[in-house]
Amino acid sequence: MTSHRLNMGGLIDRARPLSFTFDGRMYTGFQGDTLASALLANGVRILGRSFKYHRPRSVWGAWFDDPNAIFDVTLNGRNLSNCLATTTPLERGMEARSVNAYPSANFDIKGGLDLFHRWLSAGFYYKTFMWPNWHLFEPTIRKMAGLGILDRNVLDNYSSDQVHDTCDVLVVGGGAAGLATAREAAETGQDVVVVDDHREMGGGLYRTGTIEGETPRDWVATQIAAIQAAGGRVLVSTTAFGVYDHRLVGLAQDRGFAKPVRLIRMRAARIVMATGALDRPITFANNDRPGVMSLDGATEFLGRYGVLVGQNIAVLSNNSFGDPAAEQLRAAGANITRLNPEIGELSAIGGKRLRGVEVAGQHYAADTILTSGGMTPVVHLWRHAGGKLDWSDEKQTFVPGKAPDCMTAVGAANGIFDMIAALDGARIAGRGDPTSEVSVSSYKITPLWPEPGSTGRQWIDFQHDVTLKDIELAARENYVSVEHLKRYTTLGMASDQGKTSNIAGLAAMATLQGQTIPETGTTTFRPPFVPVPFGIYRGHHARQLFHPPKRLPLEMAHRELDAALGEYGGWLRPGWYGSGTAASIIRDEVLMARGSGAILDATPLGKIEVMGPDAEAFVNFIYYNTIKTLKTGAIRYGFMLTEQGVVYDDGVIARLGDNRFVISCSSSHVDGVSMSAEAWRQDGNDPDRIFVHDTTQNWATVTVTGPMARQVLEALELDVDLSAEIFSHMTFRDTSYEGEPLRIARVSFTGDVSFELSIRPSKVRALWEALNEAGKPLGVGPLGVEALSILRAEKGYLIIGKDTDGETMPHDLGFSIPRLKKSAAFVGDRSLHTDVANDPDRRQFVGLSVTAALKPLPTGAHIVTEGDKPKSIGIVTSSYDSPTLGRPIALGLLERGADRHGETVRIWHFGESVEAIVCAPCFYDPDGVRLNA
Amino acid sequence: MRDDRNKWDELRGVDDIIDTNGAMVSTVSCPRQTLISGVNVLQQTGPVIGWPDIATSRTYSLSVRRDRVLIVGGDFREDGWHQDLGQAVSDASGAYTVLEISGPNAFELLKRGTELSLKIPSRSVARLAFGVGVFLYRHTNETTFRLHVASAQCQTMWQSLETNLESLECVS
Repeated sequence: MTSHRLNMGGLIDRARPLSFTFDGRMYTGFQGDTLASALLANGVRILGRSFKYHRPRSVWGAWFDDPNAIFDVTLNGRNLSNCLATTTPLERGMEARSVNAYPSANFDIKGGLDLFHRWLSAGFYYKTFMWPNWHLFEPTIRKMAGLGILDRNVLDNYSSDQVHDTCDVLVVGGGAAGLATAREAAETGQDVVVVDDHREMGGGLYRTGTIEGETPRDWVATQIAAIQAAGGRVLVSTTAFGVYDHRLVGLAQDRGFAKPVRLIRMRAARIVMATGALDRPITFANNDRPGVMSLDGATEFLGRYGVLVGQNIAVLSNNSFGDPAAEQLRAAGANITRLNPEIGELSAIGGKRLRGVEVAGQHYAADTILTSGGMTPVVHLWRHAGGKLDWSDEKQTFVPGKAPDCMTAVGAANGIFDMIAALDGARIAGRGDPTSEVSVSSYKITPLWPEPGSTGRQWIDFQHDVTLKDIELAARENYVSVEHLKRYTTLGMASDQGKTSNIAGLAAMATLQGQTIPETGTTTFRPPFVPVPFGIYRGHHARQLFHPPKRLPLEMAHRELDAALGEYGGWLRPGWYGSGTAASIIRDEVLMARGSGAILDATPLGKIEVMGPDAEAFVNFIYYNTIKTLKTGAIRYGFMLTEQGVVYDDGVIARLGDNRFVISCSSSHVDGVSMSAEAWRQDGNDPDRIFVHDTTQNWATVTVTGPMARQVLEALELDVDLSAEIFSHMTFRDTSYEGEPLRIARVSFTGDVSFELSIRPSKVRALWEALNEAGKPLGVGPLGVEALSILRAEKGYLIIGKDTDGETMPHDLGFSIPRLKKSAAFVGDRSLHTDVANDPDRRQFVGLSVTAALKPLPTGAHIVTEGDKPKSIGIVTSSYDSPTLGRPIALGLLERGADRHGETVRIWHFGESVEAIVCAPCFYDPDGVRLNA
Repeated sequence: MRDDRNKWDELRGVDDIIDTNGAMVSTVSCPRQTLISGVNVLQQTGPVIGWPDIATSRTYSLSVRRDRVLIVGGDFREDGWHQDLGQAVSDASGAYTVLEISGPNAFELLKRGTELSLKIPSRSVARLAFGVGVFLYRHTNETTFRLHVASAQCQTMWQSLETNLESLECVS
């Protein structure tokens, strides 16, 4: 195998050889190489197989534009899939394997698929595999599709650092234009950050001889020193992968193989795009053969890595960059055949080894074909930010047009391919001055686009195996919109996102449609510009920091009581107390609560204060129920609705004074109700006369419930008459406990007499312990949320979101009076009078009675009609085995449920059905004797 | 119906301290915090602290929004609507836990969780940090920060600061 490494040149360190393997064979590269450059230097040409046809492929480009060489790489036991060989820095000991090939890229047993290419054209899977059933073929097709193999081993400690940053000017791209911009901006006193995805700044400069009288290395070093001396920051190995709202740029900073990539969220006052330009392929027969490469890429391999990609090179270029590049390669020792690609049909000759090129019937021997179809500015970030593109006839490409807010393009990214003009424009941009049009360009290009109808298999998208014939097929089948073309053929849909293929595809479609390329248009550019690990979006939000629950001030007390903790409505709460069988413990807790009493932590209940001169009118507006008649010291149950009239929350509201209310909404709705109240305060109400304070976390709440609740409370010797006559249900008192304010609300979610005691979190432990101490001799103890759920279901109390759905209105729950009689406006009012709201078949809240011999109904089971084709007419929303009643109970929503009490209905669940009797939702103490005791 | 008690670490104590990688995090005992809203509250409560102001006195007002302040310290004020002042008053002493983050890398640590720049001022100290709503300002000196976080989310904030501080490396 011939070495393609030159003895000098490039940025590699020849004193530091690095050994590695590719497809099981050992090779040596140098520090500074990429996997691709090291393999090319070793004479390895076949670096991968194409996605569909498994055609042998070498590299096309030298950096992120390469669609072909994709490896799974292992180093020190850490494995990464789908590493781009051209952008993965070589490290000692790397084990690289080509993806989509077995056993190796050089010999792939699936290579024979190419023989069947006539049957595998674009969209073939839409037309075949229909009989007998797509799912018969699906597993095999899915196994064959895709690139790379995901390692099932999780990378330990892969947690991306996420950091926010700001700057005055962010320069994306560290080539000549980018560095000139950054230096100028820094030296004029601006806070500058310049980023480049290579490990060294300089961009494409290493392909050139000198710049402003210096070697590229010296010039780059001079600029970096000047930028840093002026306070600028220079970030290498950092890719700007997306521009988001308000000038936020996502930067992914590579920190070494398999190390977590850092995400920098850079907010820049100004963004300068100096991202350069890419060389386009020329479309001709067999243009995907190993050895057909980008001319621009070949000079990059030469300049940056000291690799001469071939010895006998045919250069096909339709633009003025062709000749200097050819001269550069000739000077490096290659035999160059300069050919004009415009004079006739072209065809690459050879298979795995290239033998030559045919131009207009004339054969030219070559081991490498370097093509240049013209430069395409890298405008992705421009489009992310909403910038427009203009078509340049002169340059035969899209160039940045109307600029997005605070963004400027410079250099080749702006379609300025002359170095002097690019530097001048960059320095103007660095100062922040308006840029002027560059009228004269030495860059010349002759249009050269795919010719539909020409012979041979001509590749448009190398990575996804989209050929010119596929574009023609799409046009014949009327997928002519570029967005349809993309989806039908998968043009530009692979990990390279069409960096080299999109314009050729558009040009082919334009020709087929008799349109110009700009008339055909482009597809949407979306972030990320290059693939980035999902981990950068996740950052530290993993394990306990992934959606963490809120924590109770009494959590330690619960743990000491052996509480089983679980997430309930966004809070970590005790489900039950004890380590035995959960169902048995919960049953005992229910029986304790009904028999003597129980104590539970109700801290998450909302405590949202509404204050101000208009507070009364405001709460009357946001509540379905009439609140303005509520007297000071009284509490009322009520619903909050959405504008669509759907029940959003239920809870109680207490009046503390003429201008002061406390909304005690359900535990999981506190943030939502608080936000909703704030929104309504600012919309249609006078925000200067209403103020909403969410004081939920300033008050910890302990509820004492059950027949002995009053006796437990009496042990605290509070300055409150607790008798039922004086302190009746749905009223509250203000008092104090050990010098701290204490609120007592007589409300119940169990159906038994209950007192909710709210106190400062710092004192709640003392209160909790005192209540438990007082309760112990009375047989009253702690109760978890699971038992509470059963208690409330026995009483027929709702949980909004569980016993209701996104269509439930208050009259479905038996609360019709405000809808019919409330004269004041309230949220959701109008929606309660629509045809939908008046539909007689609405699903209404019911109880479902089941005989004791049966198991509880499955929650979520359907209530269905009888007959051969049963239809769902309702759903079981809550279901428990009631310890109090000694039989299963259930709640549900049922069409015309209120009129069906006593009716037997069928409950269906996963093919099994049982009968239940529709009843009122309240199973326990329907007269409220215990509640009002 | 799951027992997840072991899935979540026990709550940190108020005496816990994180001191590593050039930053220290501790809990500050704050005797009184009072939330006050009113049309003219910013003028009525005197100078208010915004970002990147430095609070130096025993009692100070944090500007939360155009009609709301959080008074840290100071005298007791009766909860409720104060017609004479046009102010809604709520005690918030238990609602927020106050953390202090100090040291040369304190600012770098906070940048992991929130968009922060000393050059970009804000009338309000309210912001989102590590995904949680907080009040953030400087206290005593330029490298000491105080962060008021809803008490029920203090554990999340503590763990977020600890996780990020353990792996803190300055961007270069």
